[in-house]
Amino acid sequence: MSLKSERRGIHVDQSELLCKKGCGYYGNPAWQGFCSKCWREEYSKARQRQIQEDWELAERLQREEEAAYASSQGAPSLTFSKFEEKKTNETKRKVQTVKKFFSPSSRAAPKKVADSQEVKASSPSINRQTSLETERASKDFIDFLKSFRKPGQDILKQCRGFIESMQHKKELSIEEQSECVQDFYQNMVDRLQTHSTFKGSSERIDKLMDQIENFIMTRLYKNVFCPETTDDEKKDLAIQKRIRALHWVTLEMLCVPVNEEIPEVYELVVKAITAVIEMDSRRVPREKLTCITQCSKQIFNAIKITKNEPASADDFLPTLIYIVLKANPPRLQSNIQYITRFCNPSRLMTGEDGYYFTNLCCAVAFIEKLDAQSLNLTQEDFDRYMSGQASPKKQDSEEWSPEACPGLKQMYKNLNLISQLNERQQKILSDAKQLEKDLIDWSEGVTKDIEDIIEKYPLEIKPRGQPVAAIDSDNVENDKLPPPIQPQVFIG
Amino acid sequence: MASAGAGGGKTYSFKVVLLGEGCVGKTSLVLRYCENKFNDKHITTLQASFLTKKLNIGGKRVNIAIWDTAGQERFHALGPIYYRDSNGAILVYDITDEDSFQKVKNWVKELRKMLGNDISLCIVGNKLDLEKDRHVSVEEAEVYAESVGAKHFHTSAKLNKGIEELFLDLCKRMIETAQAEERAKGNGNGQSANTRRGVQIVDDEPQQQSSGGCCS
Repeated sequence: MSLKSERRGIHVDQSELLCKKGCGYYGNPAWQGFCSKCWREEYSKARQRQIQEDWELAERLQREEEAAYASSQGAPSLTFSKFEEKKTNETKRKVQTVKKFFSPSSRAAPKKVADSQEVKASSPSINRQTSLETERASKDFIDFLKSFRKPGQDILKQCRGFIESMQHKKELSIEEQSECVQDFYQNMVDRLQTHSTFKGSSERIDKLMDQIENFIMTRLYKNVFCPETTDDEKKDLAIQKRIRALHWVTLEMLCVPVNEEIPEVYELVVKAITAVIEMDSRRVPREKLTCITQCSKQIFNAIKITKNEPASADDFLPTLIYIVLKANPPRLQSNIQYITRFCNPSRLMTGEDGYYFTNLCCAVAFIEKLDAQSLNLTQEDFDRYMSGQASPKKQDSEEWSPEACPGLKQMYKNLNLISQLNERQQKILSDAKQLEKDLIDWSEGVTKDIEDIIEKYPLEIKPRGQPVAAIDSDNVENDKLPPPIQPQVFIG
Repeated sequence: MASAGAGGGKTYSFKVVLLGEGCVGKTSLVLRYCENKFNDKHITTLQASFLTKKLNIGGKRVNIAIWDTAGQERFHALGPIYYRDSNGAILVYDITDEDSFQKVKNWVKELRKMLGNDISLCIVGNKLDLEKDRHVSVEEAEVYAESVGAKHFHTSAKLNKGIEELFLDLCKRMIETAQAEERAKGNGNGQSANTRRGVQIVDDEPQQQSSGGCCS
């Protein structure tokens, strides 16, 4: 009954499903009632307008900047100024937006989009990576440098010159490129330390170095992240596969001091997972580090709630390992390598970020080498779990797994319902069969009965000329018959 | 390794790793040192795995970053990733636990092998308040420490004993090492290149998981 009324509830008139523009195709609420084609048209108009405005803004900024730094003569024109390539950039920007939607987890999908878009923007430019992101990075950088006046100009000149020189070093091995960047950082720090403006304020130098890293690495990212000359990608796939194979590892095996049954803790775990996945979508090594730090902070919070004391490394590392296993962060090795090669070393070596990064490296190393012993399992169990022949969750306790995760719980509930439904279905089916059989039996029985009866009392057909009542037919003459002879009694 | 700050007053930044088996009180030790807290119900500190402390020793500013390490046996192999580029190491054992002292010996061997004499070592017998249950003799520990060029300290995080001294001494020795290195750098300028590389994972032998081993 209720089903019926529900169905009536969502019934929509056919005409409402069609595209608002009336092109005859179906529309979609996600596209505000347009069909995909009309939506794209509408949307791109709006986009076009906005892009136009953005570019005007960028152009203006560019002019201002050019004017401001005119004095710094032939600054190597590495070019966020190639406006003749506007077309390319527009398309590029679209790709960026799409990427943002899909990232961080899926890599393949945006790539496809990017490819198709790039086909349209057929003019290949040397300066592909000039995307909105780099634009923004340069704008921020320039704004930041303005506060330093003259030395600021010098720094900008240096950085641009460096990026330009890196364009010619693409052929070098990644290690050599990393060396170049590291040398550049080192030189900058050395020069800043002796410069009168910055002397004695290491905080300002740190801040400036962060900005320099932002500016440089946003631009170099495309060329130096997971370069084809290395086996970074292969390693990415290897660790990804490894983590997938270890999907069965539980909190208990790793002795993780986190109780996921507390909803608050569970939420923190999810946040930590999100943060570590997010790392892949950042371009600047420092920002990637920030993601790791955020992930770590969530872990500390989770431990704090569970254990009610500050987390030590004994607690932290297993939890981080667990999070990495759960998250399976995209391009993990590439990211680690990239950070190692191109992060400002002072941050990586002693700072808090560096500590968490080191722990992440440890987690990865642990996962790579993990064996039965490190999970306190017997070799047989470990092998069985690895090959998927058994799952520890079912054996351990049936209470645990559904309780831990609301999704699983719901799934088990649904499975249960489905199996009940299935049972009923079976019953109905067999009942129907029975009914059919009964019907057939019954009709056969009736037929048989009739046949029996027919057999027993066969129909006799008498010749036609002899009427059935022949004996009495001439009753008329009966009257003429003499009366029956009366019996005579003889006494004798 | 010690990155000197801006020209005028020098600021040293040191990385100190904290090594030792689980439950020897590493965390309590640093928490006591950096926050002066022990088993406090109202500890607001979120974590005790990475803590920093600023010191002023004889006019020299020193920032130390204390890196706690996971002490469980299963993480032992990860040690090199942690103690890479560290200036000092604090090796903690529990005076009531003979095993934990053995672990310290292993660590010392490893550290000396990997980092040579660039690293200043402190061996620390913690839980001095449990003197009556002592299982590691004072003489043995001190003789051993001396034999490997480390300083030995007795501490109690519970009673706040010996901790300040421990860190002060360690800092002094790290400053000495850093100064010696600077002088060496002044002579031959070739060392700076390899001191500033970041952390790298050392893949010495990717272990293969054979999945068919159980059938025989």
